Parts: sequence; structure tokens; C-alpha cells
Amino acid sequence: MWEIIVQVFPYAIAFTIPLLITALGGLFSERSGVVNIGLEGLMVVGLFSSAITIVNLEKFMPGTAVWVGLLVAAIAGALFSLLHAFACINLHANQVISGTAINMIAGAITVYLARNITGSGNIHIVHGMVRRTIPVLSDIPVIGKLLFTQTYATTWLVLAILVLSWFVLYKTAFGLRLRACGEHPQAADSAGVNVYRIRYIAVMISGAFAGLGGAIILVTYSGEFSGTVAGLGFLAIAALIFGQWKPWGVLGATFFFGFASTIANVSQAVPLFARIPGILLKIFPYVITLIVLVMFSKSSQAPRAAGEPYDKGKR
Amino acid sequence: MLKKGMGLIIVLVVLAVAVSGCFTKGGTNLKVGMVTDAGTIDDKSFNQGTWEGIKRAGEELKVETKYLKPGGTTEADYMKEIGNLYDAGYKFIVCPGFKFETAIYQAQDKYKDAKFVLIDGSPHAGDGKAVVKENTVSIFFAEHESGFMAGIATALQLKEGEVGFIGGMEIPPVQRFNWGFQQGIQYANANLGTNISLKAENVIYQGSFDNVAAGQQLAAQMYDKGVKAIFCAAGGVGVGAINEAKSRAKAGQQVWVIGVDVDQYSEGIYDGNKSVILTSAMKKIAQAAFDMVQAEKDGKFPGGQTLTFDASNNGVGIPDENPNLSEEVQTKTAEVFEKLQSGEIKVSDQRGNLIK
Repeated sequence: MWEIIVQVFPYAIAFTIPLLITALGGLFSERSGVVNIGLEGLMVVGLFSSAITIVNLEKFMPGTAVWVGLLVAAIAGALFSLLHAFACINLHANQVISGTAINMIAGAITVYLARNITGSGNIHIVHGMVRRTIPVLSDIPVIGKLLFTQTYATTWLVLAILVLSWFVLYKTAFGLRLRACGEHPQAADSAGVNVYRIRYIAVMISGAFAGLGGAIILVTYSGEFSGTVAGLGFLAIAALIFGQWKPWGVLGATFFFGFASTIANVSQAVPLFARIPGILLKIFPYVITLIVLVMFSKSSQAPRAAGEPYDKGKR
Repeated sequence: MLKKGMGLIIVLVVLAVAVSGCFTKGGTNLKVGMVTDAGTIDDKSFNQGTWEGIKRAGEELKVETKYLKPGGTTEADYMKEIGNLYDAGYKFIVCPGFKFETAIYQAQDKYKDAKFVLIDGSPHAGDGKAVVKENTVSIFFAEHESGFMAGIATALQLKEGEVGFIGGMEIPPVQRFNWGFQQGIQYANANLGTNISLKAENVIYQGSFDNVAAGQQLAAQMYDKGVKAIFCAAGGVGVGAINEAKSRAKAGQQVWVIGVDVDQYSEGIYDGNKSVILTSAMKKIAQAAFDMVQAEKDGKFPGGQTLTFDASNNGVGIPDENPNLSEEVQTKTAEVFEKLQSGEIKVSDQRGNLIK
């Protein structure tokens, strides 16, 4: 049993990380009062822009191309999310509809661009992120094997972003203002906070993080752009709710999803799990989510103003 | 003057139209259409293979070509696009994939003056009873023979060790790849002096064709258990497996993937020209599509028939070039292929007592 967990762990983490960073992006957006269900589309944008960058650069600089790709993905995601920000913040559009539009545009426009630029709707990269075992730390009993063997550099990047996000949200004036905008924008405004500006920044952060999430999928486990991230963006939203809009909660929720679905995926190859019907393992994380959501529905800690356009006239 | 000038222009225009008309009619007015299955036209699999064959026919046989991508994968979606092609004058329609079975069943009656080519399926009313009308050809591939050849090549190259299989959905074409592969390994062990093992726990149908993450994770499990090569007949799931193999190969571990449907060598490249794709179990879909267009042009359209592309007509097999196979292995594999073509070796398309 222990051996299986050790074996599965690096892959569970690899699957968790893109989810975590995307959900974290959603957290910024929703805590500022803008619901962002366009995360799926923003991930696709990140996936595409990193793929096209890496494929063009890797001939000259295989090592750094991956990092440039990640950076480009974050920028592209942030820029693309401006569409959502403009519609939701300036135009007071319904945020769910705007997010849905983002998802639909992203899937179509990226494949269109890919086909026009490379001649094919599928883009393959040759060099992805290299897995490394960290020398000294991996010798620590128990956690060394689990956390420090076969890790991707992106994993540590995302964990650093997580800590930083927690710090920004809870320990800085900016974080307090951002949260205030999601709870009671009128009050924040009367205290001199520029609600529009804060929400713009928050939506752009969510776009950048989701773009990064898409790019991480590319450089770690898929190696290919094909116009979709297979619903991971929606899973990230589920994790955000499951994690009750809190950074550490989101970490726990995404890790739960990552670990449970990895176990479900590999169960067929592991004799110990093969006895359990695969379908049970596959639905397990979703059933748990449903139960948890029902249990928490009374005490849900959703930002109060999430989903409501802020209108200065209405106080 | 003006009138004279106009007259001249009119004459020129008429001439130009007439001449260009001649050029388009220079070949034939056969218009070949295609409706794509789920996925994009460049899916490196069925759609792409079929379209490449049609495009080649377009260039070499001077026919007009066009493909349409349906909005979904239901019978109604397919019928709509078939109707659109028909209305636009495309009366030779190629459809790749078993999902078209019921749509073609209807279309062959509805559009009696059109011709249909159904690849990897046979038209039926939803009850599985095949009805191939005079204006339809249904094409199947002997996946088991393709898998068999991949099994032989793999066994000969590795000589000893463990191999595995990852399939997509548990549907007949994928199952036949698997069963053929197992028979190839068995044949090589019995007759060619290899010692390859394939454990039951390493024969897996993932259950989808698009779960990339699962492909990586399953492949990782198998490689960790000491499997040296995995045969992936699993679409996007295979993409994940190839990516895992690439990471490991880059780290110096020797692992292989055996590709499927088309020559996947280029997808497995991880450094320079080195690829993790040992060989690929191919179905020559492009060839089949091209052959059908050519048959139609020559007036020999095999309407009403169900054709099987197998080793004997070079419809399946491994690629001509396999940079990862040694000369000796390629020669021996070619010998086995000849025996398969001549019928000396028989590969069963049934499970029998094989694994899964």
C-alpha cells in the first residue's frame, strides 16, 4: 500500500498543480466580487499561447523556452480576461453569461489560430518540464519520498504563489480592499476604494493564473495542445467552492481531487485496487463534493457580492 | 469606339469562361466530400488519414474535394452534413468511423444517386444487422494483423522483458489490436526465440480516448513495474503515455511506446531525431480512401460490398521506416509479414483464451 502511494504521489501532484493555480485565480476574482466561470477558456488560451511560444523557441533554447512559454501564457490569460472584466465591470453584464462566452470563444479562436499559424489544430512540443529529484530533501524519511522525488519546478512555483497569495489577501491593505469589494462594494467605495480598479486587477490575476494552469498542463503531462483542457477549469471552480474561497481550503480541495482521480485512473494497473469496480473510484471525488456542498450549503462562505455588478448609483 | 471595345471585352470574357470551364472539366466532374467524425480534421488519426487520402485523390485524379465538420456526433448531425454535401453536388461521400453506421444506413436510401464509403463500420438500422446497398461500400481493417506485426517487431527488438497494452474504449477495433498484439508476442516467443511476457494486469482499457492525464499515470505505473514497452491504441490517452515515455527517456531510462493507426514516430521525438516510438501498428486509412475514389473514377466502384484491408492487400502493417528497429529485426519482421500475406500464418480476430 505504502509503495503504491509513493509511486502515485508525484503524478497526483502533477495533476493537482494546474487545478490549484487555476482555482487560486478564481479565488482572487470571486473574492473581489466577479464570478469567473471562464476559467476553462482562459486555461485553453494559456495552453495555446504557451504551446505556440515553446514550439517556436525550443529549437534555439530548449531549456528556457518552457519558462518563456509559461510567462507568455500568464500574460495572454491576463489579456484575454480583460474581455470578461470589461463586460462584467464596465458594462454590468451577467457574469455567468460573459464567462460562458469566454469559454466558447477561447476553444474556437485558439484552434483557428493554431491552424492558421502552424497548419494543424494540434501543436506538439518536444521539450517539456524535466522532473527532478531534489538531492538532500529527498532523503528525509516519509515526506522526502512523497514530496521531493520526481518533482517539477512548476510545482514549487505554484506553491510559492499560493503562499504569496495568502499573504497578499490576508496581510496587506490591497488584500483587505479586494475582499471588501467582494463582500460589500458600496462600503468599500465609501471608504475611498476604487472598486472598478480592484476588480480589474483581480480578474486579470485570475486570467494570468488560469493561463499559467493551462501552460503547466502542457509542459508537465500532456505535451500537446488540442483545443481543450477537458473540463479542468470547471473542476477548478468546484474545488474553489469545496475549499470555501480560502487559499488553504483550495489547496486541500484540489489535492483531494488530484489524488482521488489519480487513484481512480491508475486503479486498473494496480492489482490491489483492481478489485474495486473502476466506476466507483471514478465517481468518488464527485460524490464526495456533492455531499460536502450539501453539508456546507447552510454555512457557505461565498463572498456576498460575488456575481453582482457594482453600480455606483445603487447604494 | 466604345461599342467596339465593349464587344471585344465581351468576347474575351466569354472566351475566358469557356476556357476555364474546359479546365475544370478537363478531369472529371466527380466531387468527393467527407464528413468528419468526433475530433478535428488534424487528429493524427481517422479524420486526418481519410482526408489525406482524399486530398491525394484531389491532386492526382483531379477531383474536387471538401470536408464538413458536423456540430455534434449524433445521427442527425451527420445526416445534416451529408445532406449539405449532397446539395452542393458532392455525390461521393466518405465517412470515417463506426459512429456513422446508422446515418449511412439512412443516407444510402435517401440519396440513391450518391455513393458512400463507410470506413470502419457497416450501415445498419441500429440493430447491428448490416445492410450495404449498391451505392455503398463498407470498409474494415484487420487490426489484429496490424497488432500482430507490431507485436512481432516489438518482441524481436526487445528480445526479453515485459510489455503492456493500453486501450481506449473496449470496442472491437481496439480489442482486435490488443488480441493481435498478444498473438504476435506469443508467436515470437514460440518461433523466433524471444522471451517477452505480457501480464494480465498490464492489459488495460482506460475507458476513454481523451483522458491525457490517465494515460500518463497508467504508463508511469507500468514503467515503474518494469514494463519496457507499451502498445497504446487509445487516442489522447496514448498522447499522455507518449509524454511520460518522453520524460523518462530524457532522464536516461529506456522505455518505449508502440504507436497506433498512423506512424506516430514524430510524436515521440524527445531529442534531436530520437523518438520513444518503437514502431506503429498502422491502418492505411489514406490508402483506402484514395483507392475508393480511384475505383469510382475508373468506373469500378465496388458498391454493395464489404471490403477488408489486411496484410494481403497491404492495408495494415508497420511503417516502412522504423529508425528504432535494427536492420536484422526489420528483415525478420518483413519475413513474418510475407508469411502473413501468403496465409501461412493466421491471426485470429477473436479473443479465444487471450487476456481481455
